[in-house]
Amino acid sequence: MTEKGSPARLHAGREIPHRAIADISNLPNDYSTTPGGSIFSTTPGGSRIFYERNFLMQCRNSPLAKTPPRNMAHIPGITTPGDVDIPKENGVVEPKGAKPQKVEGAEEHPQFEMDI
Amino acid sequence: MKTPVAHVTNFAIFFNMASGDSEENPQDEQQIISPDQYIKHPLQNKWAMWFFKNDKNKEWTANLKLITAFDTVEDFWGLYNHIQKASKLPSGCDYSLFKDGIQPMWEDEHNKNGGRWLVNLNKNQRQTELDNFWLETLLCLIGEAFEDLTDDICGATINIRGKGDKLGLWTKDARRGDATVKIGQKLKERLKIPVKIAIGFQAHSDTATKAGSTARDRYRV
Repeated sequence: MTEKGSPARLHAGREIPHRAIADISNLPNDYSTTPGGSIFSTTPGGSRIFYERNFLMQCRNSPLAKTPPRNMAHIPGITTPGDVDIPKENGVVEPKGAKPQKVEGAEEHPQFEMDI
Repeated sequence: MKTPVAHVTNFAIFFNMASGDSEENPQDEQQIISPDQYIKHPLQNKWAMWFFKNDKNKEWTANLKLITAFDTVEDFWGLYNHIQKASKLPSGCDYSLFKDGIQPMWEDEHNKNGGRWLVNLNKNQRQTELDNFWLETLLCLIGEAFEDLTDDICGATINIRGKGDKLGLWTKDARRGDATVKIGQKLKERLKIPVKIAIGFQAHSDTATKAGSTARDRYRV
């Protein structure tokens, strides 16, 4: 390698190829999904996938985003209706209408447990 | 390489054929369904969303729940659209989004040498900024906004606390000064934090052994 060429060559060698996905037409042809949505093919050569903010936001109302993930944990107040079962933080005033404080010493919180 | 146009055209032909002869029927043309609606867009990384509640009657790890993991844009929104907003969480709760395989705790092998960029929110900002900040941070993570520094990123947390909410962006190595500063600058830019307001980066090791209420900042942007 020539002295002149070396640094540039080394630098180029470290560059990670990437493409920014701002629109559907930017998506490489060799990305594919199975009907169930799992990926069976990605780009060869290890290029990285970047998405622009606007493209991500456009996908928010996709029909594929209208149902919750099937494997989502059931956590009342978080992923299912109800209230989070949690003792109040010290110094925090209980909001009006909140459920009564649990009896001291009640250590069982069965509604929070996940059944997997 | 085939052009994307050819790719989309193939879909259109397919749907035309499926719906019969469409040449003479403009209504059929309108019923062609965009292939966008059937393609899930793969993410560079698989991400796991966690929920933490601070129930002092239980072990710390017993309070930490994995909500789900995802690796496409659509599955991210499927999750985000169906979980409680961060601003509605009770005090003492956290959401965390970390790369799959990294637990949202500083003891994790991937985190223990790292630290976090910390954005402190005041009480008013829970209503005005918090959900936007958190969503923007999530989009930075899944969209790989930190570009060639993506390997430095571990995840992010949002802490809902009565004394002030906190957003943290976690990186894997607090000694990597240039990378850390660039990540902080990008975060600040994406959150549209005013230039005059500085945010600080703290090493987890400093936070763990801190003498006062807050660890010193290793970096500020």
